[in-house]
Amino acid sequence: MKKPIISFRNVVKSYDDDVPVLKKVSFDIEEGKFYTLLGPSGCGKTTILRMIAGFSEPTAGDIYFEGKRINNVPANKRQVNTVFQDYALFPHMNVFENIAFGLKIKKTPKEEIAVKVKEALRLVQLAGYEKRGISEMSGGQRQRVAIARAIVNEPKILLLDEPLSALDHKLRLNMQYELRELQQRLGITFIFVTHDQEEALAMSDEIFVLNNGNIVQSGTPVDIYDEPINHYVADFIGESNIVDGIMIKDNLVKFAGKEFKCVDEGMRPNEPVEVVIRPEDLDLTSIEAGKLKVKVETQLFRGVHYEIVCHDEMENEWIVHSTKKAQVGREIGLDFDPEDIHVMRFNESEAEFDARLESYDD
Amino acid sequence: MQKSKFSWANIYLVCVFIFLYLPIFYLIFYSFNAGETMNSFTGFSLHHFSELFSDTHLVIILLNTFLLAFLSALIATFIGIFGALFIYYLKRRSHRNTLLSLNNILIVSPDVTIGASFLILFITLGTLFSGFSLGFWTVLLAHISFSVPIVVLMILPKLQEMNDSMITAGYDLGANERQILKNIILPYLSPGIIAGYFMAFTYSLDDFAVTFFVTGNGFTTLSVEIYSRARRGVSLEINALSTLVFLFALVLVVGYYYISKDNQGRSKKKKRGVLR
Repeated sequence: MKKPIISFRNVVKSYDDDVPVLKKVSFDIEEGKFYTLLGPSGCGKTTILRMIAGFSEPTAGDIYFEGKRINNVPANKRQVNTVFQDYALFPHMNVFENIAFGLKIKKTPKEEIAVKVKEALRLVQLAGYEKRGISEMSGGQRQRVAIARAIVNEPKILLLDEPLSALDHKLRLNMQYELRELQQRLGITFIFVTHDQEEALAMSDEIFVLNNGNIVQSGTPVDIYDEPINHYVADFIGESNIVDGIMIKDNLVKFAGKEFKCVDEGMRPNEPVEVVIRPEDLDLTSIEAGKLKVKVETQLFRGVHYEIVCHDEMENEWIVHSTKKAQVGREIGLDFDPEDIHVMRFNESEAEFDARLESYDD
Repeated sequence: MQKSKFSWANIYLVCVFIFLYLPIFYLIFYSFNAGETMNSFTGFSLHHFSELFSDTHLVIILLNTFLLAFLSALIATFIGIFGALFIYYLKRRSHRNTLLSLNNILIVSPDVTIGASFLILFITLGTLFSGFSLGFWTVLLAHISFSVPIVVLMILPKLQEMNDSMITAGYDLGANERQILKNIILPYLSPGIIAGYFMAFTYSLDDFAVTFFVTGNGFTTLSVEIYSRARRGVSLEINALSTLVFLFALVLVVGYYYISKDNQGRSKKKKRGVLR
C-alpha cells in the first residue's frame, strides 16, 4: 500500500454537549485516487470534509497530512482546496479575477497567473470566458469556474462538497464524466461528498459509506454494490430485495420457505441472516422452471426496463428489473444463480466482514 | 377600476410636486430677478449671483460647509464600515439586536435633542480642558457622530445578504483575515459604502439643528448662515445661493444614480467588451 496522504485516527467531532457528529472515525486516503464519502444528510460526511479543509477542528483524535499532524493548521495554510456546494464565487469579480484569487494571494507573478488561469479555464472547457461576470453565467458554468478556481492552485487534494446537487439531471451526468476525467488527467486526490449513490458508483475508485457518524463500509464501487456489509448499505446503494433467512450451513441458505445453494461461508450453522438479491439478477420464467413462485402485483415501465413488484407465498416482496414484460395478477416463476445470492450477518463489523470474505476467496 | 386607481396616483404625484417643488422653483425664479424684492419680477438679471460671489464671507462659509460634509462623511463612513461589521459578527443575537436598536434610536431621535446633548458635552469638556472651545472641530465631531448610524444602516443589509461561504472560500484559497477584508468583503460592500457616504454627505450638508447648537462664534455653516440672514429679511442673494445649492443637489442625485447603475451593470459592460 502507498503512503497515505490523509489519515484520520479515532477522530471525534461534537458540537457543545450534543451527540457527536463523528464517532471515532479512522481511515486512510491514498494519493491520486478518487474517493467518495457517501451517506444521507447528517451522517457526518461534510464534517469530515470540513476538517480536511481546516474549517473545523476535531474534538478528539488526530488528522495527519503526509504523516504530519495538522489538527491546528488553519485552512489558509493547507495544500487543500474546496469546491463548495453553492460554489461560493465572488460576485463582484469576473471569471478571471475569481480564478486568479488564490494565485494573487500567493504573490504569483502576473504573467504566470495569466497562463495558469487560461490553462485552468481550458481544463474545465470555459476557454475565452475570462471577462464574463459571474451573474451572467449558468449554474453549470459557475460550477466549472468554481472547479477552475480550486485546481488552479495545484492542491494536493481537491475537496468537492456535493458540487453537482444544484444541476439538472443531464448536466449532472456530463459533469460526472468530466470530473472523473479531470481527476485522472491531474492525478491529484479528489474527495467527493454526496448523498447520491449513482454519482458515487459512477466516479469513485473508493467509496466510504457513512451512517450516523461512522464509516459503515469502505471499498471499490463493485465491492460495495455486490457485497454490502449490512441491511443499511444494501438498501442505500442501489435497489435491493432483502429478506430474512437462515444459514443452514456453508453454501446453503434457507429463505422464502426453501433452501438454496449459495457461495457464502463462515457463519454458524443455522445462524439467522439477511439475504440480498439485486432486482436485475432476478429473471422471469415459468412457474415450473423458477426457483420461487410469485404473484405479480404491479408493473412500471422505467424506459430501460420494467420494474415488476411481486410477492411470494411467504409475503416477501420481490422487485424485478426485466426487459421482458409480465402480466399483473398472474403467477410466475423467478430464477437466479447461486452467485446472485448475497448473505449478510447481523451486526458484523467491517473488519470481521473483510476477514470472512478473504477466508473463502482463497 | 384600474384606470381610476391610476389617476389617483397621478393626483398624488401632482400634489407632491406642487407642495414640495413649487416653493423651490418660486425661490429659484426670483434669484434671477433684476429687482431687490420678491414682490414683483422686474426683469432677468444675474446680478444677485455676482453679488453672491463677491461676498467672500459667504463663499468661505460655503467652502467650509463642503469641507465639513466631505470630512465628516469620510470619517463616518470609515467608522460605519467597522460598526456594521462589528454588529454583523456579534455572536449573540440579543446583543446584535440591542446594538442595532441603539443605532436606530440615534437616527430617529430629534436633532434638537442630539444638538443640546452635544452642547452640554462640549461645554463640560471646555471647562475641563482650557484649549477646547466650540468651532469647526466640535461641529465636525457632532456631524461624524450623527452620520455613523446612517452609514451603518446603509451597509448592514448588504452584509446580511452576503454569502458566508464566500469568506470560507477566501480562507480555502489561502487568504488571511486582512486579505479577506480587503479583497472580498470591502469590494463586495462597496455599493452600500458609496450609498452610505452620499447619505452622510447630504445629512451633513443640510443639517441645521445640531450645527446651530455646537457651532461657536468663529465658525458657521451655510444652513445656519442662511437662517440668521433670513431673520434680518431675505435678500435675493440667498435665493441665488439656494439656486446653486439646489443645482448641486441635483448633480449629486444624478451622479449617485450613475454610480449605482455602474456598479450593477459593470459585468454587462465587460461582456460587451468581449463580444466586440
